[in-house]
Amino acid sequence: MNANANAKANANANAKANAKADRKARPERDSASPLLEIVENARIVICCGSGGVGKTSTAAAVALRAAERGRRTCVLTIDPARRLAQALGLDLLANTPKPVRGKGVPSAGDGAGPGSLDAMMLDMRRTFDEVIERYARDEEQLDRILANRFYQRLSSTLAGTHEYMAMEKLYELHESHRYDLLVVDTPPTRSALDFLDAPDRLNELLDARAFRLLIAPARRVGGGYLKGLNLATTAMTRMVRRLTGSELLAEVGEFFAAFEGMYDGFKERAQRVYELLKLGSTAFVVVATPEAGALREAGYFANRLAADRMPLGALVVNRVHQARPIPEVPASALERLAGGGADARLLAELLEQHHALEALAAAEQERIASLLARVPNIGVVQVPLLADDVHDLAGLRRLGARLFAPIPVSPGHPDGVG
Amino acid sequence: MTPQDVLDRARLVVVTGKGGTGKSTVAAALAMAGGLRGRSTLVAEVEGRQGLAPLFGKRVLGHDEPRVATRVNGLAVDPEASLREYLGRYGFAPLARLLTWAKLTSIITAAAPGLGDVLLVGKVWEAATRPGLNAYELVVLDAPPTGRVVPFLRAPETVAELARVGPIRHQADRVKALLDDPKRCAVLLTCLPEELPVTETLEAAATLRAAGLPLAGAVVCRVTPDRLGSRASRLAALAKDPAPLAKAAAEALGGSGGMVPRPDGSRAEPMAVAGPPDGSGPLEPDSLGVLIGEARDRQRQVNRERRLIKELAAGLEGLPVAELPLLPDGASGPEAIRTLAEQLLDSPLASPAPTRVHA
Repeated sequence: MNANANAKANANANAKANAKADRKARPERDSASPLLEIVENARIVICCGSGGVGKTSTAAAVALRAAERGRRTCVLTIDPARRLAQALGLDLLANTPKPVRGKGVPSAGDGAGPGSLDAMMLDMRRTFDEVIERYARDEEQLDRILANRFYQRLSSTLAGTHEYMAMEKLYELHESHRYDLLVVDTPPTRSALDFLDAPDRLNELLDARAFRLLIAPARRVGGGYLKGLNLATTAMTRMVRRLTGSELLAEVGEFFAAFEGMYDGFKERAQRVYELLKLGSTAFVVVATPEAGALREAGYFANRLAADRMPLGALVVNRVHQARPIPEVPASALERLAGGGADARLLAELLEQHHALEALAAAEQERIASLLARVPNIGVVQVPLLADDVHDLAGLRRLGARLFAPIPVSPGHPDGVG
Repeated sequence: MTPQDVLDRARLVVVTGKGGTGKSTVAAALAMAGGLRGRSTLVAEVEGRQGLAPLFGKRVLGHDEPRVATRVNGLAVDPEASLREYLGRYGFAPLARLLTWAKLTSIITAAAPGLGDVLLVGKVWEAATRPGLNAYELVVLDAPPTGRVVPFLRAPETVAELARVGPIRHQADRVKALLDDPKRCAVLLTCLPEELPVTETLEAAATLRAAGLPLAGAVVCRVTPDRLGSRASRLAALAKDPAPLAKAAAEALGGSGGMVPRPDGSRAEPMAVAGPPDGSGPLEPDSLGVLIGEARDRQRQVNRERRLIKELAAGLEGLPVAELPLLPDGASGPEAIRTLAEQLLDSPLASPAPTRVHA
């Protein structure tokens, strides 16, 4: 082997070593966004996370992209502040899906392809009424329930009702087969658990036989061991009556009496919804920001989904700060600048701000990494802090461009300038 | 009570806001500020999230009101314990024991809409009006988010509508008297300096006012500090021609201000030559470009936030708006909360020229 060939072999070895080091250091170079697969193939996408993390705009951006990819898509939002309405430039959404109008938004029959985008906002009370309508034996039972004051409060104020009704509506839309993809923006509950537990909790309430015993002493309770229980509950009821006056109990008792026979339908339906959420064609997208609280909730939710064997699709971290690298400036030089003329002091200030941004970006990456270490394997999409709030279709498309971009060189820098 | 002295005069401060706008952080900072001002303070949460505990460096808060900071105690109101306490107070202790035994509390609180809230609000009311040795001068409530806060605070009345007689009615009246009294109660809204949160905060303000609750101001969290001030006006010119900064850099750091791109062309490398003896490198034009670009982005952000905070203040018609800065490590522990508490003492929520009591 002559010297030339030797050098070449060395260079080759170096190149290989470099490439290996490169692969090792950058395992995720330009891998596809985990949302791409979801937007093409999923039937149901559920965006969840704590409030104020950009859940609604993320859901809307995913839905818009799916429609543009030729899928019949509907986005379902529950947020009472009507954020999606603003994001989609709509003033009012009904309790049924309506087409989203806007420049470049695909719609049924526009000749541009099969894709379309509908949006709806959940009216909790109306959805609950519809459910009662579906299960009521007859007009009389329906009227008795709808007129009950306890029901009226239950259907509009009880924690968990929102979540349950969202699932109810999701199931109804799914069964209608009108859409290829349903994107759900979950209620702004701070406690991630609420969403999964709400159906159970509501069922527990509606099926609270013990409670019915307690509040309905006038009804026949039966014999045997129930007799003892009946004595105890009668005593309790007397006390509860003394505590609250009788009307509250009368209303509650009336409600449960009117509700008789509807529990099983409710329960069965909730079970079917729960099964639907577990299907492989469903994808949960956990949304967060790099703040400690939002990431804690995201981690909690990811682990809870895994424990319930729910299909975890991706983690989206919105509003990530990033700093571009500059050469290091030693402290002594910073001091010289800070003690200099106006230009030098301005430069010192800019450097200090840069270092603060670097520290913030690094702290965020550390928090994200420590979350990823605590949750099951999940694809991450980081969205850098955008210059403007997302409140129109153009904003949704800008957000979409970030959501569906390939995952760059270093996960630490969403723009790939790591 | 003038709007300016919420922190010094209110007996009960209710902190609410959209989820994710810094409710717990603000409640913790307000409580710590109250403690720093020498007021015996309780900070309470009611949603079972244990959101306050980590802010004071604790794992959990219980129902026993432990001390969490100087002159500040913490309380995570527990519906079950509140129900037992409540029933005991009205002579229903046997019922309370039976409920615990039969695990019926959750059913009862879930079944009677608002009954759980009645217990939680009742407990907070009890703490705020407690006489004697364990009395507090200030109770800060980390309340449910804006979407739920009015039904929450009005729960005693809602249930009282059904219960026209008896202890529930009686207590509901007294809770309402406290909540409606602008001399004793102040409701604060938390907000972020972003478009939708500002819109939603103004909507929430209207809802609170319509419900007759004494709205006393807002706290905007995570505000980008404006450190350039009037100097920001130079950034546009510097972006076109960074020569003045290049000159300042060369003087302080050495180097010519010339471009020395890295072999792969990706970024400037500090020059090993011509630097001062301490080994620092020069800042090349493209690094200066990065710095100026970041500063301009930041200034755009500052301007946008100023505009939004102005909009918020205008919508709140003269009520005080306090601002808390974005902290690099987030508001995650007692040190950060203390920093924010000190900011609140300098904000329009505290009386000017205070006599501070130091820890």
